Amino acid sequence: MLFLLAIAPALGAAITFASDMRTRFGLATVSSGTTGVTLAVAIVAAGFGWTGAIGWSDQLRLTAALTPMAATMAILVPLIALPVLLYAAGHESERGLKRLIVLLLLFVGGMELLVVAADLLTLLIGWEIVGACSWALIGHDWRDPDNPRGGLYAFVTTRFGDLGLFLAAMAAFAGAGSFAYADLAGLPSPMIEMVAFGILVSAAAKSGQVPFSPWLFRAMAGPTSVSALLHAATMVAAGAYVLIRLHPVLHQEPAFAPAAIGIGLVTALAGGLVAALQPHAKKLLAASTSAHYGLMFVAVGAGYPLVALLHLVAHAGFKALLFLAAGIAGEKAGTYELDRMGFGRALPSVAALSALGALTLGGVPPLAGAWTKEEIVAVAGHRGLWLAAGVMLAGGLSAAYAARFQLMAFGRREAAGGSGPGRLEYCGVGLLAGFSLLLSALWYPAIHDAVATAFGAEIPSSTLAELIASLALVALGLLAGASLARTAPALGKVGTGAALSDWLGLPSAIRLGITRPFSRLATSAAWFDDAVFDAVPRLVAATGKGIASHASLSDTFVVDRGVRLAAAFGVWLARLGDTVGEFVTDGLPRGTAGIVGFGGAEARQLQTGLTHQYYALLGGGAALLVVVLIIVA
Amino acid sequence: MLTLSILIPIAGALVLAISPKLAEAQARFAAIIVSAVPLLLLVIVWIGFDTSPSAPAFQSVAEAPWIPTLGVAWRVGVDGIALALSLMTALLFIAAVTWPADTMGRTRQYYAWFLFLEGVSLGLFLTLDLLIFYVFFDLSLVGMYFLIGRWGHGDAKAAALKFFVYTLAGSLAILLAIIALALSHDPLTFDMRTLIADQPLSAGAGASLVLLGFLLGFAIKTPLVPFHTWLPPAHVDAPGPASAILAGVLLKMGTYGIVRIPMSMMSETFARWALPIGILALVSILWGALVAFAQKNLKRRIAYTSVNHMGYTVLGIAAAGAFTAKGSTAARDLALTGAVTEMVAHGLITGSLFLIAGAFWQRAQSYDLDNYGGLARIAPKLTAATVLATFASFGLPALAGFVAEFQIFTGTFAVYPWLAALGLLGILITAALFLVMVQSLFFGDLPPQRAHFPDLRGPEIWVVSVLLFLVVLIGIWPAWLLDLIGAGTRALIEGG
Repeated sequence: MLFLLAIAPALGAAITFASDMRTRFGLATVSSGTTGVTLAVAIVAAGFGWTGAIGWSDQLRLTAALTPMAATMAILVPLIALPVLLYAAGHESERGLKRLIVLLLLFVGGMELLVVAADLLTLLIGWEIVGACSWALIGHDWRDPDNPRGGLYAFVTTRFGDLGLFLAAMAAFAGAGSFAYADLAGLPSPMIEMVAFGILVSAAAKSGQVPFSPWLFRAMAGPTSVSALLHAATMVAAGAYVLIRLHPVLHQEPAFAPAAIGIGLVTALAGGLVAALQPHAKKLLAASTSAHYGLMFVAVGAGYPLVALLHLVAHAGFKALLFLAAGIAGEKAGTYELDRMGFGRALPSVAALSALGALTLGGVPPLAGAWTKEEIVAVAGHRGLWLAAGVMLAGGLSAAYAARFQLMAFGRREAAGGSGPGRLEYCGVGLLAGFSLLLSALWYPAIHDAVATAFGAEIPSSTLAELIASLALVALGLLAGASLARTAPALGKVGTGAALSDWLGLPSAIRLGITRPFSRLATSAAWFDDAVFDAVPRLVAATGKGIASHASLSDTFVVDRGVRLAAAFGVWLARLGDTVGEFVTDGLPRGTAGIVGFGGAEARQLQTGLTHQYYALLGGGAALLVVVLIIVA
Repeated sequence: MLTLSILIPIAGALVLAISPKLAEAQARFAAIIVSAVPLLLLVIVWIGFDTSPSAPAFQSVAEAPWIPTLGVAWRVGVDGIALALSLMTALLFIAAVTWPADTMGRTRQYYAWFLFLEGVSLGLFLTLDLLIFYVFFDLSLVGMYFLIGRWGHGDAKAAALKFFVYTLAGSLAILLAIIALALSHDPLTFDMRTLIADQPLSAGAGASLVLLGFLLGFAIKTPLVPFHTWLPPAHVDAPGPASAILAGVLLKMGTYGIVRIPMSMMSETFARWALPIGILALVSILWGALVAFAQKNLKRRIAYTSVNHMGYTVLGIAAAGAFTAKGSTAARDLALTGAVTEMVAHGLITGSLFLIAGAFWQRAQSYDLDNYGGLARIAPKLTAATVLATFASFGLPALAGFVAEFQIFTGTFAVYPWLAALGLLGILITAALFLVMVQSLFFGDLPPQRAHFPDLRGPEIWVVSVLLFLVVLIGIWPAWLLDLIGAGTRALIEGG
């Protein structure tokens, strides 16, 4: 029953695909209808505690169940997808729009499958479906070969991470004979390590953590709505989600926490720096996504999955909002270069909505993102002051690039001109802004205490000193970002800045260290395969040709040779039997001669073209050969 | 029933060969009808097939004495493994025969050879007599030899010759091993069931030698690295439908042979050799993927991925046969079920891919990836079918390849963790190489000389749709297939 949650969007996709609906409003209706139904199903499923099971075989069972955190995620996915799809129907190029909507709906379905999964097999299925959809979506406009190349890069990078999940599933089966989450608890060593680290690697790859982060930049080749959905509620969210969902299992492995915190903190700081330097609007947001998922990794590593989940929810709202706003600005500018934007005057309402998103991203109270980030500071503080300081610094960087983004994209530089976004786009952006504003209620103690009770988890409160230090860094970041936007509009476009803004040189390192050597290795292997492995049969063939040089090389000849070969083999075997000298019967030489004669005569007849006789001959010859051998024995 | 499904296509081939008055269209229509009969018969067998644990392993058994003094008889019967493979084979033959082909003015002969090959291929999977197995094994070479040599392109005759002689050499090793195995049983018999039950050759250097004879022959046919170099030229120069059969059916004879003969009849010796076999399989997985990655020729690329995929299959078989290793019965069962599922899945997926490659040749007489681009613009159906087939081939979930490979890997991991973990790299490399292929065929700019490249049409659409529908069905809901295969693997693993 719970699988309905994944089937509903897939069904919507199938219906859209089969229909010949092409108008924007038609596609908007069917996609919002599908996501709306999915949302309703998610709420009902959460309320009634639905579960699901599909048996493939005795050993393979797909199972689904919702924990409170999984239910939150299951509701969040369609909640974010709905405005994004409305926007997509209104905003994206009409060419291939139906395909885009179909794939986005499938994407949602895959995500819901991995959210409801209660075992590693089901998780893996949803996980890789989401990856494949991301390939198709990033390369959506395939006429420009760079886009599918971006999709390829993203898919191969994340699939490398998927191997970790494969490994986890393999280890779970070897250790417990089952893939169910429930059976992972008591896994022996080293299986538990493989499960924990396999899942961590998969999650890091999906969530764009170091060293996998560059794929998120390449994913920017996709349309804006794809970026918005990919970063907010699907794909990238899957990594952090699976850590949140499996936190009880993962924490059995003592090395998991430091590893997750390490990856998360490094990504949060590096991503913040990269975003602060990025001249490209969507890439700035992409680096910021890596950084904020890094913060969620820190929260999970520190032992507070609920805090990570709340930040994921808040991030989903404001990041989708910012991407959609960036898409509108990019459409107007004809490029995503920030220094070519500045549409505060031209698009005042979009600018205002975007400002809400940017302030939330920057962590300015009393907005939702600020509260969840301060919570991460607090849980990091439980682990050590240095960790809290790291998270605060990441928060400061976040404020800096948020300010820079907003002021450059929606500053008041250019006069009004041209047309603005349509109703569907406003609808999408507005809904997400409303969602972000609503979440700000989390600042009220009564509300966040209620949330904590509902999830049965603890929400730590930060100390006053932490709060003051953190907010001071946010203020500093905002100022720095504002001044960068004003004084250095070309930041990150040339020189060291440009090198650093491309993930601190990580993509070049990957190209030089992995991609290119692999490609060379493959070329050498292909050469070796032709030159060495094939040498032996070629040598034999050359010898054969020499022997047969008197005859024509027609195909019937080849057949003839096959028969002679069999006959010669019979002679050889017979001689073998002879030297052993146990039974030298009359039948042996006669039989052998018979075969040779028979084979030769028949082979000659073959040349008349009656080729169908040949197979009877070969079968008969083989049988005769056996008879002779039996006699020998 | 089983006997009929072998004899009807062979009889059909004879009739086609000796009816010179048949027009082209008539010959094709007749061939399609005849090729469909075995599938129908096998589905009837399948409906009556009992998969419950208490059922006998081999069902629908029929036996007619032939050479009683040698213990040779016409014996047919199926277990879950053979039935699954023969169903796939029968379906793939309909697809290959239906696929519109350039028969170069020898239409009757073309279809006659296909029907003949269908009969002997089914015979190989359905027979329960070792000697007849060998005869069919060799006859399959003959059929394929003519299909490649006469209707191929490029250097087809040389490719066909290499295929024939190379695999014939392998089959001679098998013949020797079969004779030795049969002779070791007292009284002399070629009855597979008896040999499986009695395990006549259970120890000693002689047993190992016989095992190696089988393995050499089957490794050439499968093919495993380093015995695989006959495969790429045979594929490249073969017509599309023949390639589909070569990859989809003939390669399976190698892996099916390993399961049916050495693994079943010499299980102790096989277990001793399981680790080296597994290592060879791992080498095939990685080498096949690596070399495929560097190929610029569409068909060579697909051909090398077959080496990779058959590597997964043999890896699963090796893990399943390693019964002295510490792996549990459940894991070995999973590995073998996965291996057989891979045979079925690879047949459907790579069959479709080679048919599609054939479509490329028919339209543009080139397999060079650099000669294509931007075809998504004018051939959306071809694009969709190729994308789906390639995704299935690199093991994307919700498609058949994943169901197979997931089982192989998880099952093998419990027995040989390192082999399975390293083998995982194969699914990463194949993903990259297939996506690069899709990219260079369909995306980017359309070269001017391809402006009139036709999309899939008529029967092509139907054939590819049916094959890919099954690929999706197995990917989403494989219970019906796993139930059938499981009946065969359970008997092998738990009985052995």
